[in-house]
Amino acid sequence: MPAGSIQEGLSQAKEIIGKYPREQRFLLAALQDIQKEYNYLPREALALVQEHFAVPLSRLYSMATFYKALALKPKGKFVIKVCDGTACHIRGSTLLVEELQRLLKIGPGETTPDGKFSMETVNCLGSCAIAPVMVINDQYYGRVTTAAVGKILEDLEAKE
Amino acid sequence: MKITIDGQKYEAQYGEYILDVARRNNIFIPTLCHLEALPGQGNCRLCIVEVLEGKRRRVVVSCSYPVKGEIEVLTNSERIRKMRKNIVRLLAAAAPDSDFMKELQKEYGLQGEERFQVTRGEDCILCGLCVRACEELGIYAISTVNRGITKKVSTPFTEPSEVCIGCGACAYVCPTGSIKVKEEGGKREIWGKTFALLPCPSCGKYFITREELEYVQAKTGLAPEKILCEKCRQEQAGRKMGDVFKDIAMK
Amino acid sequence: MVFFKRKPVKTVLVCCGTGCLANNSLEVYEGLKKRIEGAGVRARIRPVTKATGCNGLCERGPIVKIQPDDIFYCGVKAADVDEIFERSVLNDEIITRLLYRDTSTGERVKSHRETEFYKRQYKIALRNIGEIDPASIDDYMERDGYRALKKVLTSMSPQEVMAEIEKSGLRGRGGAGFPTGVKWKQCERVEALPKYVVCNGDEGDPGAFMDRSIMEGDPHSVIEGMLICAYAIGAEKGFIYIRDEYALAIKNMTTALEEARKRGFLGQNILQKGLNFDIEIVRGGGAFVCGESTALMASIEGRVGEPRVKYIRSVERGLWDKPTVLNNVETWANVPVIINRGAQWFRSIGTEGSPGTKVFSLVGKVKNTGLIEVPMGITLREIIFSIGGGIPRGREFKAVQTGGPSGGCIPKELLDLPVDFDSLTESGSMMGSGGMIVMDDTTCMVEVARYYLQFLAEESCGKCVPCREGIKQMLGILEDICAGRGREGDIDLLLDIGATLQEASLCGLGKTAPNPVLSTIRYFREEYEEHIRNKYCPAGVCKELTEFYIDIDACRGCGLCEQKCPVGAISGERRRTYTIDGTKCIKCGQCREACRFGAIKNRGRRHEDNH
Repeated sequence: MPAGSIQEGLSQAKEIIGKYPREQRFLLAALQDIQKEYNYLPREALALVQEHFAVPLSRLYSMATFYKALALKPKGKFVIKVCDGTACHIRGSTLLVEELQRLLKIGPGETTPDGKFSMETVNCLGSCAIAPVMVINDQYYGRVTTAAVGKILEDLEAKE
Repeated sequence: MKITIDGQKYEAQYGEYILDVARRNNIFIPTLCHLEALPGQGNCRLCIVEVLEGKRRRVVVSCSYPVKGEIEVLTNSERIRKMRKNIVRLLAAAAPDSDFMKELQKEYGLQGEERFQVTRGEDCILCGLCVRACEELGIYAISTVNRGITKKVSTPFTEPSEVCIGCGACAYVCPTGSIKVKEEGGKREIWGKTFALLPCPSCGKYFITREELEYVQAKTGLAPEKILCEKCRQEQAGRKMGDVFKDIAMK
Repeated sequence: MVFFKRKPVKTVLVCCGTGCLANNSLEVYEGLKKRIEGAGVRARIRPVTKATGCNGLCERGPIVKIQPDDIFYCGVKAADVDEIFERSVLNDEIITRLLYRDTSTGERVKSHRETEFYKRQYKIALRNIGEIDPASIDDYMERDGYRALKKVLTSMSPQEVMAEIEKSGLRGRGGAGFPTGVKWKQCERVEALPKYVVCNGDEGDPGAFMDRSIMEGDPHSVIEGMLICAYAIGAEKGFIYIRDEYALAIKNMTTALEEARKRGFLGQNILQKGLNFDIEIVRGGGAFVCGESTALMASIEGRVGEPRVKYIRSVERGLWDKPTVLNNVETWANVPVIINRGAQWFRSIGTEGSPGTKVFSLVGKVKNTGLIEVPMGITLREIIFSIGGGIPRGREFKAVQTGGPSGGCIPKELLDLPVDFDSLTESGSMMGSGGMIVMDDTTCMVEVARYYLQFLAEESCGKCVPCREGIKQMLGILEDICAGRGREGDIDLLLDIGATLQEASLCGLGKTAPNPVLSTIRYFREEYEEHIRNKYCPAGVCKELTEFYIDIDACRGCGLCEQKCPVGAISGERRRTYTIDGTKCIKCGQCREACRFGAIKNRGRRHEDNH
């Protein structure tokens, strides 16, 4: 990437970080906001955080790899979260994962080469009554069947 | 106040850790993640003891349990030995080639592992001493990354660290020899980063990286020619002591 | 002058909890709102539309309630909006087809209060959920909201407040059951300042969602509970730690805090009584271990959520090493009610050792799934069979899992166990935050234990040896057993290592981690032995140890299994019989799930030896 566009791309990160006082307790919140903005934590943005909060890079890296809400690699345009909470698990969430694997050719934690889909398994989303549950970019899908998975993906493709 | 350890009474200060009381009185409690300079992490759990307080009987880690009342401590009860044996067995599966762990295995009557999954090649038991040492020095080159069973110690992005000074403190405190340091031809390699070594002003042996020299200078204010290798430093200290004794003898 | 008896204003409540939203309740809400607002001129009455929090019966959502007649519609679709508006809002008709069909009687009932699902419940913590608009502080105040705060500020000393809470016997609803009043007193006694009040909303137990519902549906009750504690212990700052995944809870809580500030319930000199207190929301980072109190505090401080050795308790040295009271969402929601109605009243509900109620999320293989609040001491049987309506598809009850990854599986012999903190712990499980997952004979208990350890292997912070390495090795052994590689002696080894974890781990996560394994061995040892010795999974879940076949005597030849099979492994002829091609079958069990005649059976791999 040419230097200019990195600078441009970082303006949002700068804005986000600038909102927070230089206290360690806002570190996680700042990282989460950057994650929301970019769908991951770009290294250049981490450098800005490091500077703003005066915290060593090793600490930031430790946090970024500890908390599941943070990611160091870009995620796809559609992030498919398959709930593997207990209720979903005993109602067949593994079948949904297998179906997604079959259709998207990616496993949990991976992103399709075209950057369109990411798949993740997540722990209970608290919607056990409508298990098994899938969430795609904040849209909840309840009582999902393997047959419905293909249909949902088609709809998303169509939205493109 | 007095506390009882394995049936004997000992003097203890309020707030003092059980391990410290025990060590002062030459009672052996095994530890792994505990060093005088970097105490009380409570990670390895080898230093567990039983504490009896009134009707309560519980297992605590002696390195971080503060004495607050007249408790009774059992450092080597059957219950403790059984648990410690399990902990040693778990650790040995993670660091099968470490001499330290081999010793412990022998002590607890453990033979070759047959049921657990044994991980070879790492020998890290995540005691955390290396990270603590690096942080105490104010360098912050390494940290623990990930969590759960994938947790490990690493530099950011598993790349050579920008801030590492190659001092090797992490390798020095590592109980299992898991941190690899390669030294040859005036070079030192650690955490994937290669450093040029400088010779000792006294004996000429390569012993310190430029980055570490600068760090020591900044911390101590010593001139570079006063910063010696450990051997020369000890010899010098010995000479000084000799002078002192000479002085006393003269008087 | 003639007075016409005015008809009461109708209120249309549309559930907009996460469960109903997933079923498109927002469309229903928008539709009804548009119709009602559009018709405002000609309608004699102006009904109020409210988006409410969760009603508990998420499975039947979207749910629409019409007050004051207490009409309860479920499974409402956008297409039903016009009919509801014409018949039940403008007129007083009831649309039978939308009424709830009771699982036990099979009859349609008008009001949810008449259903078996609701009849045995007693709502304290959930008192307002589904009844009020969470965004409206006025709604909350209409139902006694902030009255308890006024009461303590005007007529009770901090000591009296703590004494009342202690006398009520309220125990921490987060799982451990520590007496709340005692905790407050311990913190109050410590002289260091400042002090902090923290709400644990990092609900991480898979299968539990009561805290989410309370934060979404009745955020002010949590705020009021925290305010009362702040007054009692002398704190000026509070934090609510909410799971980042709970977007709606964060949104509603944020709104509630703003409203409370506007009305002078938060900030400086609250209600002119000299109390200063404010609350900040902290979003969780997605780590189960942060439900552990010291890890949660580390996370609030902006660090990695690793627990610390806890020989000095948080009430003395908690957040930033200052005295801290931490309670969970449900505990906080109980506090205002206890202050309003008194400890005596609270004690009259529940049992001697566990007064009050507990919210459970009843999920899994049970007919009525959802959130329920019941008096402590109720039996598991009542919960699962009377409230939950029993097991669907005529299958057999096998176990109920309580307490999440820290809990255990309770078998049918213990169905008459009263549900309270102490009996659950005695049974080898625990209350936990209140997840209750019902399992039937198609759930494999070894696989359930494996599932929880897999969960914990990812969620342990990885700091201490017994937890990290112990879970790893126990998981390895369980994976072996599920895959047919189990060995003699495995069960004893699991028990042995499990006991070490319970005693020697650093924090509560590690200490309770072996519970799912230990409890399933305790009650379902034969199932483990079947896996190990006979290479047979009786539940037909472990794929390596399962082989499905169609019992020709039971098969009616309906062909449903053939339709359901995702890999085309089933073939046959209609009205005759079908067979499964074992070489193609992936053992997903969908045919068995679909078969109405119980004709799909599992003979395991052991038959290979027999034949």
